[in-house]
Amino acid sequence: MDENVELDAWEIEYVSYGGEQHLPLVMNLVDQELSEPYSIFTYRYFVYLWPQLSFLVLPQLFHFQMVYGEHRNTFRGYIVMLVVIKPYRGRGIELVTRSIKVIMESGCEEVTLEAEVTNKGALALYGRLGFIRAKRLFHYYLNGVDAFRLKLLFPRSELHPSLPMMSDKYESHMQSDHGDAPFKE
Amino acid sequence: MAEDGSLPPRASIPSGDNSVWADVSPLLQAACQDLQEGELIHGDNFNLFAAMSALEIMDPKMDSGIACTYYSLDEAIENGVAPIPISADKTTDVRCMIDIMDHLLACEATWHKGHSLAQTVYSCLYLLRPERTSSHALLHSYCKVIRATCKAILSVVSQARTHEEEDLFTMAYGLPLSGDGDEKCLSMLNAVEETISRQLRACKVSSSKRRVPEDIEPLQNNPDLEEGYCKALLCRLRFRKHFYHLLMSMKRPQGRGLELARKHIASCISEIDYIRKCSEFLRANAHGISEQNLDNTTASGCQPIGFDASLNCRLSAPTPPRSIKIHSWEKVNLNVVCSYSLDPSLEAALLFVVKFQKSRPDLVARAHLQLLLVQDGKLYGRDPMFSMITGAAGLPGVTENYDFQKNEFMVQLGQLVINLLKILCTNAAWQRRKLGKMLQDWHVTYVQLEMTFKGEFEEASKTSNNKQKICFKIYQHILAWVEEQTYWIAFRFLNLGFELELYSVHDYCMVYWYIYVVLIKLTEKKHLRMAMSSDSAKKKTKKKRDSFKDGEIDYQIPAAVMFLQSQIYLAEGLSMMFAALRNECRIVPLQSPFNTEHEIFIQQFELLQKACVPDHISYVSFKESTMHANFSTLAICDYFKEAQRIAKEVKSSFANDPDTMAELCRVEQVAERNSIALNVCQAGALDPKLKISFTFCHHPFYATAIVKRS
Repeated sequence: MDENVELDAWEIEYVSYGGEQHLPLVMNLVDQELSEPYSIFTYRYFVYLWPQLSFLVLPQLFHFQMVYGEHRNTFRGYIVMLVVIKPYRGRGIELVTRSIKVIMESGCEEVTLEAEVTNKGALALYGRLGFIRAKRLFHYYLNGVDAFRLKLLFPRSELHPSLPMMSDKYESHMQSDHGDAPFKE
Repeated sequence: MAEDGSLPPRASIPSGDNSVWADVSPLLQAACQDLQEGELIHGDNFNLFAAMSALEIMDPKMDSGIACTYYSLDEAIENGVAPIPISADKTTDVRCMIDIMDHLLACEATWHKGHSLAQTVYSCLYLLRPERTSSHALLHSYCKVIRATCKAILSVVSQARTHEEEDLFTMAYGLPLSGDGDEKCLSMLNAVEETISRQLRACKVSSSKRRVPEDIEPLQNNPDLEEGYCKALLCRLRFRKHFYHLLMSMKRPQGRGLELARKHIASCISEIDYIRKCSEFLRANAHGISEQNLDNTTASGCQPIGFDASLNCRLSAPTPPRSIKIHSWEKVNLNVVCSYSLDPSLEAALLFVVKFQKSRPDLVARAHLQLLLVQDGKLYGRDPMFSMITGAAGLPGVTENYDFQKNEFMVQLGQLVINLLKILCTNAAWQRRKLGKMLQDWHVTYVQLEMTFKGEFEEASKTSNNKQKICFKIYQHILAWVEEQTYWIAFRFLNLGFELELYSVHDYCMVYWYIYVVLIKLTEKKHLRMAMSSDSAKKKTKKKRDSFKDGEIDYQIPAAVMFLQSQIYLAEGLSMMFAALRNECRIVPLQSPFNTEHEIFIQQFELLQKACVPDHISYVSFKESTMHANFSTLAICDYFKEAQRIAKEVKSSFANDPDTMAELCRVEQVAERNSIALNVCQAGALDPKLKISFTFCHHPFYATAIVKRS
């Protein structure tokens, strides 16, 4: 590989979860970066039911998973895990933005996730995208840390007929974006 | 054990009459190879969702059996983890005993903050086999009282239901919570204390070189250290005794043990002071290097003997092991609970709980407060909720048994009040969620009572029954109070958002605006209720003095209403300041690619809007109020100056209320500083180097603006 190539110039390939060959890669990545322990069934639950909503960014940069489903009569998207390897933090916003677009286009009314109250990078990232901190969850994580439940409500079409459904690519210069959202509902 | 050194092969489960064991590993291997990629063989009722909480063996984050020290308590004991006596040398034995006591106290404090009993207090192996310590009187009596204390606290927390994973807190997993005779733990403790007291007196006598009157065996062998060690042990034993008495006093119904508990709490604090004074002595006599470390759990700074947190993790593993840092003991929150005066006033109870929560009390203290406040559906287990409601509504004399007391909506209202008191005793995060949700219940109850009231009124107009007129008045007062209470809950809900850090800077404008509209309603309702109460009192006075014919005295606005008025100005000022900053582009507005300020408004105030708190308020109202705000206009009608003026005026009325005085001072400070900041912003409107930021150093939820030149 040409050593003079800038990191930013690396070709990044966004791929959907493609099957069992991706699972060990995902599990290793999440296990390294997130403090919560997850059994293999946690991963299987999400990638079996919603494989089209799970994304990797190659080569081995990010892993992202999400699901949506019915929640008390609303269609809610749920960001389960987002991990970015340290050398490539600052690019997570692109991944989240793409994923939220998919959730939005699928007809969901809102997106939620949880993040540690101490995770400044993740909170800033999601705050910038319009998530509010809907709730604080006392001693949510196994390490005793509280969590914020973050929510993004999509506009209803009757309220904003003129609002364009998508904005142009969102610029970001994040120092770190480390999401941590175990499924604990 | 086998003398030949070879262990017999592990006994396997014997084959039964109709079954035989066979190794199917090769078969499993072959079957797995035939599976398609990603294929899973499972039973019909298996589902992946339920399997998500499964543990994974050999994963260090989940499997507490990995990297263990010992596989069983017996193995740990055999390897000398928790020796008895702790040391053959008596001096060392005493020193280590004190370390154990100190670490247990730290574990207890950690447990009270909401961590697992098995990984805190019961990480002490001496507690796990009660009869084992019987040969060591000091250790044995101390373990007994610890177990009895844990049992008592578990009982309180189980009853209270404060909704923060009590199951984790109260789960005992077969831990020995009571050994034989733990009920007599105090008599044993007293006996040990008496022995050590005599030893202390003996060493003092011998130090003055007079003849020892009795033949008392010393505590340990070093005469120079005898006094120090005796004192160090005595204050710890006495703390333990008073703490247990405290818990027993708090258990007495209707708060009857509160005064006694107060005395025991004072004794506990006193003994903790003695414990601190002994620290220097213990550090000086610690063997090896004792680090002066804030993380120390022992006075000597040494690691205690006999603790292994990982052992219980393996015995009780419904969840992965949690990483727990053992806290040092800082304060006794129960002190505040005991200081309460059981004022038979609902308003006083609500104010006390809110004040109590400011000190961030632990789970145990909050559980005790809840049980003190609400027992058998009555305030303090003593005062019926209905009379508390009528008292709060300004009808203190109403004691007759009116039929409407049994009205289903009145009963419902009583239940709402009970729930409110309980919710206010929970942790702030849970509290906010439940307060938000209960607003709709309060609103619905108000509407139902109002309809009942109107129905009664129609009947009352037909028959001018005197009793009916009294009922009319009672309903009027209660309706006014219910509305006021609803807005009080809304106000607290919004304020807790600051404490919990739920708002970002971009939300402040709309949040302060919403606080402003809620405060207007709260002030309005409180004023109405107080006026009605004043009116009732006036009429009673008139009846007593028929001859008194002077005109009515000018009605003075109550100080409590004026206090709220100053906060209205403060909230409005803050809202308008943020709006002006946005309108004049001094704050970069949030630019989400996915939604707008409207969606954020909907989400932030969804629960209040659903409860019509207040009615006819919407995002459009917010935009109309704030879209034209600018610094020139704000400087002319300075809300902050008004807030400051009213706060100053009203202070003299609260001379006997230090808490409200302190709050008024805070409001005044914020208002004063913000008024100055406002003028600087207005004067420096053209200066791009002026930077404005906000801090909460003067008030927990009213922000102070800081203007600097960059």
